[in-house]
Parts: sequence; C-alpha cells; structure tokens
Amino acid sequence: MRDFPFHTGLSIATLGVLIAIVNPPSGAQFRVLTNFTPELTPLSPMVRHVEPAAVTPLRIPTLTKNPEIAEPLLDDRARVLDAFYGALRRPGGVTRIVHYGDSPTTADLITGDIRQLLQARFGDAGHGFILPAKPWAWYQHTGVRVSGSGWQMVPASHFEVRDGLFGLGGVSFTGGTSASSKIVFEKAGYTRFEVWFLRQPESGVFTFTADGFELGRVDTTGETEVADFAAFTVPVAASTLELHVVQGHVRIFGITSENDGPGVVYDSLGLNGASITVLSRMFNQAHWAAELQHRHPDLVIVNYGTNEADFADFVDKQYEKELREAIRRLHAALPETSILIMSPMDRGHRTGPGEIATMATIPRIVAMQRRVARDTGCGFFDTFRAMGGEGTMARWYTAQPRLVSADFIHPYPAGGKLIATAFTREIISGLNRYQLSASEKPLH
Amino acid sequence: MGLAAGSSAYFILVASVFFLYWAAPTRLLRLGIILLANYFFCARYGLFYLALIPACSTADFMVGLGLMRFQNAHARRALVAISVALNLALLIGARHMGVLVNPKGWDWIFPLGLSFYTLQALTYTLDLYRRDAKGTGSLLAHLSAVAFFPTLQAGPITRVTDLIQQLAARRPLDRIEGGRALFLIGLGVLKKALVADYLAENLVNRVFDTPKLYSGAEVLVAVYAYSLQLYFDFSGYTDIARGSAQLLGIRLPVNFDRPYRSANLTEFWRRWHLSFSNWLRDYLFFALPGGRTKIMPYVNLVITMLLGGLWHGIAWTFAIWGLLHGTALAATRAWWAWHGRPKQPANPWMHALAVFGTYQFVCLTWIFFRSGSLASALDMIGRIASLSVSLENVTPLFATALLLAAATLFVPKAWYTFAMDRFAASPFYVHAAMLALVAAMLRYFGGSGNAPFVYSRF
Repeated sequence: MRDFPFHTGLSIATLGVLIAIVNPPSGAQFRVLTNFTPELTPLSPMVRHVEPAAVTPLRIPTLTKNPEIAEPLLDDRARVLDAFYGALRRPGGVTRIVHYGDSPTTADLITGDIRQLLQARFGDAGHGFILPAKPWAWYQHTGVRVSGSGWQMVPASHFEVRDGLFGLGGVSFTGGTSASSKIVFEKAGYTRFEVWFLRQPESGVFTFTADGFELGRVDTTGETEVADFAAFTVPVAASTLELHVVQGHVRIFGITSENDGPGVVYDSLGLNGASITVLSRMFNQAHWAAELQHRHPDLVIVNYGTNEADFADFVDKQYEKELREAIRRLHAALPETSILIMSPMDRGHRTGPGEIATMATIPRIVAMQRRVARDTGCGFFDTFRAMGGEGTMARWYTAQPRLVSADFIHPYPAGGKLIATAFTREIISGLNRYQLSASEKPLH
Repeated sequence: MGLAAGSSAYFILVASVFFLYWAAPTRLLRLGIILLANYFFCARYGLFYLALIPACSTADFMVGLGLMRFQNAHARRALVAISVALNLALLIGARHMGVLVNPKGWDWIFPLGLSFYTLQALTYTLDLYRRDAKGTGSLLAHLSAVAFFPTLQAGPITRVTDLIQQLAARRPLDRIEGGRALFLIGLGVLKKALVADYLAENLVNRVFDTPKLYSGAEVLVAVYAYSLQLYFDFSGYTDIARGSAQLLGIRLPVNFDRPYRSANLTEFWRRWHLSFSNWLRDYLFFALPGGRTKIMPYVNLVITMLLGGLWHGIAWTFAIWGLLHGTALAATRAWWAWHGRPKQPANPWMHALAVFGTYQFVCLTWIFFRSGSLASALDMIGRIASLSVSLENVTPLFATALLLAAATLFVPKAWYTFAMDRFAASPFYVHAAMLALVAAMLRYFGGSGNAPFVYSRF
C-alpha cells in the first residue's frame, strides 16, 4: 500500500459516489457485468431468416384478448382478392400485379423479392414495367440496368401540377433527338415489349431496338393528346433494349417486357418521396384510367404511408380522405380488379441517446388503412405487424447483421427479403383458402 | 455482451483493477490481477476466448523461449515462422472462419476483433528474432502483457517487451499523472460519444447506407463528417485506452497527432494511427526484400500499404484503400527523390493548399474504407460527381456540430497541454465533479454511446 495513489483513488471513488447518487445502481446492472453471452451471433440473414423457425413472429395470432391483434396479417375475409386468386389459378395465364409505392419500391427493394418468389412458384411471365431512365439515382430494378440521357423527367411526386399525364409509372419523360434509353436484363430475356407513350400533335419519332435489331420506327404524332402503346415481338428472347428519339420531341412513360407465360408479371412502380396524394390528386384520372385499363392488372397494390408519417396533422385530418379517394379512382378505372392496401413498414426515430422508437403516426396510419380497406372492398396486408410491430426498427437496426439502414426507413436487402417472404407466404395462404373454398362450390 | 471502452461496465472494470492493482503487495499478485482483468475482458465477448487467447499467447511465449535459447539461424527462422503462421491464421480465421467452415450458410465472425492482438503478439517474437529486445522467462508476465486489456480491442499497438518491462517496474502514480490519466479518459469519452456518435447517427451512417437517396453535396458533407467521426472515434478510444493504462502506471504510445493538418501523405502517416504505421514500417516494410535498390522501396511501399489495407478485412474496398495510400506514398517519395523535399517552412498559402489537398485525398480514400462494398463506394463517388446541390438533410445543428468538431483540429497544442495540466493539478473533488459533468453531458447531448468503436471490429 506504500505506493497507493490515494489522490487518484479518491477521485475515482468520489466519481463513483456522485454517479451512484444521480443514477442509483440496480441489481440488473450488476448482473450485466457477469453476463458472458456473446452479443453477436451473426448468421447470414439470407439463410437465417428464411428458416421457418425464424419467422415465428409472422404467424397470425389467434388466441388473444385484444381484437386488433387478432386481425390477420392479410385481410381478404370479404373475398375481395378472389379475382386475383382466380387469375393465379388460370391455366396457362399471365397474372399481372401493379405495385404503387414510395422509396423502397423505387429501388425494387421488397418488390424485387416478391417478384422473384412469385415467379419461382407460378412462372416468369416478364419483368414488367420499367421507366426508360433514372429519375432518381435511387431508382433501380433487380437484375436490370437502366440508363438514359437527354430526357426531361417529371415525376408525379414532385407535385408540379401540369397536365397530370404521368403514364402508368408516374413519371413523364420528354426528349428530343439527343434522348435515348438503354435497358439491359442481366439474367433474363423477353419476347414481347410495349413502349408506352403519348400521341400528340407535332410530336416526334423514336426507334426501338432489341439486341441490336431495330424492331420499329414509331411516329408519335396524333391529332389529340392520347395515351398510346407500341407493341413489338421478337422470335428469340432479347435482353438489351434501346430507344432513340430520331425526330422531333417525344413523350415516353415506360416500357414493359413480358413473355407469353404462364406466370406472373410484377410492375414495381415506386416514386421517391411519394405519398398517397400522388394517386388521389396528381394523376389525370382519364389518362391514368386508360393506362391502367391497358395494363389490365389482376391485382393493384397501394403501398404508401412512410412519408406521410412525418406529418401528424395531415395523418389525423386528411390522410384517410386521400386514401379513400385514391381507392375510389382505382375502382372506377378497374372495377373488376382486386385491390390490396399494403401498410408501410415500421419507421423509427430517435427519442433519446440510444433510444429508437416507432413513430407515433405509423400505427395510426396502419389502423386507418385497415379500416379503409374494409370499407372500400380492398384487401389489406399489415407489413408493420408482419415485421414485428412496434419497435421493429430498433431491433432491426441493432440486429447483427443489420436489417435496416441508419435512416430507420429503408430496409437492407436482407430486411426487404424478410418482408417479401412474409407477404408471399400470406398470398399463398390466401390462395390456398381460395382453392379450398372453390373446390367446395357445386360444379355447374 | 462485450465490454467496449467507454461503457459503464468497462469503467467498473478499470476502477476495480485500479484499486486491486495498487493494493496488491507483490509483483506476482499484481500480474495475476492484470491477467484476470485481461481474461475477464475477453470472456465478455465469448467464453471461448478463455481457451483461444491463452493458448495462442502460450504458443508465442514458447516460441520466445526457443528464440532466447537457440542461436542457430535455421532454428530461429523456423520458430519465428511458427509464430507468424499462428498469428496470421488467428487474424484471418477470426475474420473469415465462416467462409472456411461453411461457405454457403455461415458468416461467422469473432465478436472481439483479434487484429490488434495478433499485431501486438507478433512484436514479441519478431523483436526476439531480430534480437531487438530481451524476452521474459515468466509465462505470467507474458500473458499479462500480450493481452493487456486496454489495448486488446483497438490498440494502440504496443511492443510486448515494453509492456513486460513497465509491468515489472510498476512506476508510482503521483497525483499529476493520475489526473492526466483521468483527463485522457474524460476527453476520450467526450470525443467518442459527444462528437463521433453524433456525427455518425445524424448523417454519416444514413448516407453511407443509402447514398443514392442524397444529393452530391450531402454525400460530400457526409464524407467530411465521416473523416471527423473516424478521427474522434478512434482517437477517443486511444485516449480511453491510454488513460486506463496510465491509471496502472503503464504508458502507452501516442497514436494521433492532429493528422488532418498534414501537408502530404507521408506526414499524414506520421500523425495518423502511429502505432499501426510504425508497426507496418518496422515489421513489414523493412522486412521486404530490395530495400537498397532504386525501384523496390516504392513497390514495397505499395505492398506494405496494400497489406495494411487488407489487415482491416479481406475486401476490395480495403484493398483499394491500401493501394491508393501506397501508390500516393510511393509517388510522393519518388517526387521528392526527383525534385528534392519541399523546404520548411513553406509559403503559408502553399502549405495551406497542400494541407487542403492532402485532406481531400484522405477523404477520398475514406469513402472506400467506410463503404460496405465497392459498388456502394462507387455510388458515393457517383453522387458527388453528379454535382447535385441540396442540403435538406444537413440540419443547422449538424452543420454547427461539424464545424465545431473541425475547429477543434486547429486548437493549438499548448491549449490542450494547459487544460490537461490544470485539470491534473486540481483537487480530487474537482476531478470527480468534472468527470460527473462529462457523464451528465453525454446523457443529455451525446449520441447513443452504444455504437461500437469503429476500429473495434477489426
């Protein structure tokens, strides 16, 4: 003890006392000291989370006193998705799904996985709708390289009210003779293509090539402004598409790529920063209806809510009205088509040092969406609860490896795959229920 | 559960070791206490470390005994080769065991990075092999030094023989030294939780996760913010480690000397992560062949930095980071060989321009260092090159914090020394009150404090 540094010892002891006074130690804190369990058990998420045991939180709870919790993850109890299930069962048919969403959809983060899972089961009938250039650096589609130049791009989500003609995908591309686009499918090829454009007075001409062969030269001039489509087929599947404006100015909305089927085509139509008001207000109804009717989808998914969560007043006063209006417009355009409202994911925010909590508006939005779906004859998928409900973002952010990015909004690919797996599983369960009930119907 | 420096559990360990260590009457007991603390620290990351680290340390100790005994060059070479192979296997295995065990399903990593441990352990056998230092015949002394807990997670890499000597000598800790140790710990905690975590949580992590969602200007700000985050994070850790060791009378080497004020890359590496760059120079660069030829030193420089990059992890991003630094260092050296070194002091404007240019280059390399993949790094650069200007995600508070953090880099060294000495000379209750104030500040203003130190994953 001769050398004992008493002064420093006193400093440390006094500090300990001061901290203990402000923050009295608990038994739990001392127990933590002797916890030798490794914090990290980092299995590869792609393997870990597709195991059935790992998705137990995604099961539908059946025994509970809380009626809200007892609601199914996929609510199609009013058989509102039967038209879609019928299309999936149609022998040799092509089932088209149109998915409207915000930034995760823009990057094909969850939709890309859903496409892959559904096509693995029902067949690959095509990649679906793709924009001819990237309106945002974030825009991407799984397995597709998109590049374009010379386009003036106007997304519906920019709320610059013009003529409301945004095509099916929500972005209008106008370009002169310097404008061109190239789409490369990295692992697939398709035989049927359609270029979606606006026929209008004093318009221009574009050429369309597949794997280097010019398939057509399209004059987009017309007497009035009207949505039009140039269809092309090739005998051998092509994987590289090019579009060049060769005369005047043309206005393009997108390109679809399909095969004859059978199988599923999944259009991932994401708009960065979009909210439900894009569908309820920004699209010109007649034009949008014409685009939707031409696409003739078997299921339309409406997947917004994340961006709205920032605006509590809007959520409480306006959100439900806007959602009802968007659904009304969709029903008016596609009266026979199944519509599914897909809730936003959990969204987190920091509430203090080391604390990440679910934004209070998210559960309110989810509840509204469930209610609107029930009232308007739509199906409903509760993404929020499928992920694990309240506090999921905190858990996913601290998971090893991480499942969500540091903005507590955008899933990492592994997180997106989790949601896609949950969604697809519910769709398959719904289809099984449909098949069961269909087989019980009397034969005519 | 881990035991990150800066966590309350870590400080409870340090305080406990402090009282036990200074109260212990014999050298044997003191070494025993250090050893227990070392292994308690390791065990918090997984009980298997209690077998792994003693086994590897003992193997190095045995190699050391052999090197002390044998004079035959072949035998000595064989012995040191065993140690190098063992530690390299530990370094690579700890990081990439999953790929070796099950390439399809597992991505298993050791929760406690052993990169620093392996470099530190190698200093012992390599020093004995080169007859640069005297070894020890005491297994206890070796085990206590080689896995010395303040340095285990992220350095500073200290020569084991130096630690053995310091542990054997036990320098008395006077009140000024003790005060300086507490100052270092407090400063380190502030750097980490108040600055590094704040910058990381409020922009850097988001942008590096999803760069395509941000404008070029925001990505650029995030890169600059990351450069400061990394500096405050890593130098904060070093301060905590040095302070913790100093409480036991152990001096650890200085690791940072205001690196972003370097006027060229050679100077940068004399100011950034000094213990690592010294290790690379002493044990790798000098060991590579052709050091006296005209061309090979340049090639060796590139190889050294490439291996230094891969030490952080076997990934293209780290390889490119190392190659960029190695190539730039070689180019600087070649330029000086051709034109002569610039005169000191240079024109102040030219000096400022050189500092600015060096900082920009270092920031460019940090993009590769921080990005999760090469594609992500290229996305970051692509966004900056887009020249899109929008600063919606850079809040005024964040911008202020960033500027304040940057301003601290220009605080004169004399101010820092003055503050440290004033603190050290203060009475014990002032020490306690100031450190309690630091704890309170972190509670209300700091980042999460839960983010691991950047270098702890290596």
